[in-house]
Amino acid sequence: MRHLPSLRERSPVHGLERRRLGVLDVFAQSVSGAAPSAAMAATPVIVAASAGGATIVSFAVATVLALLVAACIGRFTRRMAAPGGLYSLTAQGLGPGAAFACGVASLLGYGLLCAAAVAGASTFLTVLLGGGRRVTVAAALVVGVVVVGLALRGVRVAARVVLLVETVAITVLVVVFALLLAGGSLPGPGDVPAAPDPGLSGIAAGVLPAVAAFIGFEIATSLGAEARRPFRTVPRAVGATAAVAGVLYLFAAYTQVVGFAGTPGGLAGQTEPVLVLASARGWSWIPTVLDLALSMSFFACAAATANALARVLFSLAREGVAPRALGRTHTRFRTPHVAITSSVPVAVAAFAVPVALGVPSWTVLVALLTLATAGFLVAYLLVCVAAPVFLRRIGELTWPAVATTAVIAPVLVVVLVAFLSGSPRAAVVLGATALLALGWYGWLRLRRRDTLDGIGVYDETVADDVLGRAA
Amino acid sequence: MTGPPQDRPGESPGRQGGPPPFSGRQPRAVRSTLAVLEEVVAAGPGVTAKEISGALGLPPATTYRLLNLLVAEEYLVRLPDLRGFALGRRAARLALPAVTTLPTAARGVLEHLRGMVRWGVHLASFDGGQLRIVDPDPDHPPSDADLLARYPQVSALGRLLLAEQPDWRALVRDLRTFTAHTVASPDELTARLAEVTRDGLARQCGELRADRGCLAVAVRAPGDGRLVAGLALSGPAHRIADPDPELVEALRDHARRLEPLLA
Repeated sequence: MRHLPSLRERSPVHGLERRRLGVLDVFAQSVSGAAPSAAMAATPVIVAASAGGATIVSFAVATVLALLVAACIGRFTRRMAAPGGLYSLTAQGLGPGAAFACGVASLLGYGLLCAAAVAGASTFLTVLLGGGRRVTVAAALVVGVVVVGLALRGVRVAARVVLLVETVAITVLVVVFALLLAGGSLPGPGDVPAAPDPGLSGIAAGVLPAVAAFIGFEIATSLGAEARRPFRTVPRAVGATAAVAGVLYLFAAYTQVVGFAGTPGGLAGQTEPVLVLASARGWSWIPTVLDLALSMSFFACAAATANALARVLFSLAREGVAPRALGRTHTRFRTPHVAITSSVPVAVAAFAVPVALGVPSWTVLVALLTLATAGFLVAYLLVCVAAPVFLRRIGELTWPAVATTAVIAPVLVVVLVAFLSGSPRAAVVLGATALLALGWYGWLRLRRRDTLDGIGVYDETVADDVLGRAA
Repeated sequence: MTGPPQDRPGESPGRQGGPPPFSGRQPRAVRSTLAVLEEVVAAGPGVTAKEISGALGLPPATTYRLLNLLVAEEYLVRLPDLRGFALGRRAARLALPAVTTLPTAARGVLEHLRGMVRWGVHLASFDGGQLRIVDPDPDHPPSDADLLARYPQVSALGRLLLAEQPDWRALVRDLRTFTAHTVASPDELTARLAEVTRDGLARQCGELRADRGCLAVAVRAPGDGRLVAGLALSGPAHRIADPDPELVEALRDHARRLEPLLA
């Protein structure tokens, strides 16, 4: 009998509530992270602006891309459970440097998505309540406090609340869209020339915002250590979220494209397509219901991303990359309470401060989402490249893993480049972040070489998990 | 609030939503899965996927899929290098615990305690993560041994075992209700097990049979403190609710005397 490799007595991520969350709790996180109901209402018109008649094709392509990313992430999550999510996975394939880059990209992605979700929730609440900038700022603070409270109390409670909220929001959206679809297209001036074929470049341009609608779908990865059967639950939750979101987006895009089929310019000529469709039918109640559903969806997204953001910080802190204090856990709720209370307020401030200074809240929301998308794209790219390398390292490489990466990685590079060239401001901010990160990396490399080499902790098998070891 | 069905521990994965129908191809998959399990046992902890695939002559992709399935179901675990495999704690459910004969000195300790109290005195072993009564009190026979082994959460002895687990759900099949007092909520059971760890005393009051209860303390190995056995007193439920401190002290004292004899 061979010698058993040395096992730790406790997991490096001890302190979190290990192996507690059921399938639904994990799934709820991912669905809320992607916030499909908000994207259903907002994204098709943006995609149509670039893709025109190929809007639906663009969404189909984006769905396939999301499923491929989910497949790459699944190669890891079927084999390891890490609260740090994507960056811990990257570390297993590409080593400390890439893992650090992915960690920064994840922090940027989750942090800004959390801020954007707070922004969305408070913006739509303001519309509902009526009121100006002050109401928006106050709403953002209230949303922030509730999100912190939920995150502190533990994922189980948060997941249930979030699942309920997101289910209601999605149901409302699906019903509204089904009603709009049943109404057929709006009457137009008669013979409308068919939308010009946008060609491949049009489809490609449309894929960009369509991909952005998916960001956050992999958020369940960060619950790896806390899921009951992580190696089964997490990959399934991520894959199912990509699929469900894809179907919802295709449905929403189809409804809106059909709705404006008879209108000159089609969907692309609209600014608020859903509201136009609704008011054309005389359904004045739809805007209110929609605003309520959207603010709920954004709230659920904020709660889910706060959990993920805190766990990435927690994990980095356990490794010594981020300040150690962030790696502490609450003794009773078993949540990374220091990471939660120090990160969510920053996210809220990222929205509330510019709004308080007079920037329109919608502008802030769009800017936050754009930057978050850039962060996610970098993280997805790194984790997809890491997947086959990781499999090779552990001696389990198969050709589908190589093929998936060969397809997805170049596409993600193109999408990222197109994204940055399309929004110069995002490129500048991202560049500045990269410089800061490089400085941080250099300092760690000089002063804390060991820390950096140990990046990517995960919920290791401990002595107690192995049969015959403890006895 | 009742949890979603997934939250009920012990509901084995294949049973969620009814048993899936067998297709013509599956018997081979089942056979291969069992062969993979067997190979991990035979080769010992640390065996890699490549080695298993080579030894069994299975296509690598199939082997990886089966290994990931067994890891997902927790019959196997990946070792920290992520390459090697070992049997997980759940695999303990596949084996019958070995029969142990009790040393004469240990029997003597049990007889001494039985002579002191008028309650049932039982000794259980926890070999391989399973509860087995190794020395039942002949004058006060304990509940059905299979029932105790199957539902460790309703007996004081079983709670000793569960309190030692990183997650008790790994060993609990089904939170069945036997009497009005049976603890059937996962959160409440977690709280009870935390009490066991805190007090070093497990108890159960009319949860399996309304009129009986039991108290149990751990028998630990003198060297590393691991749990080897449990010593229990069973008696009238109302006496368990408020046990006599002298009785508990006698129980602890005899458990301590058993430690060098059983480990």
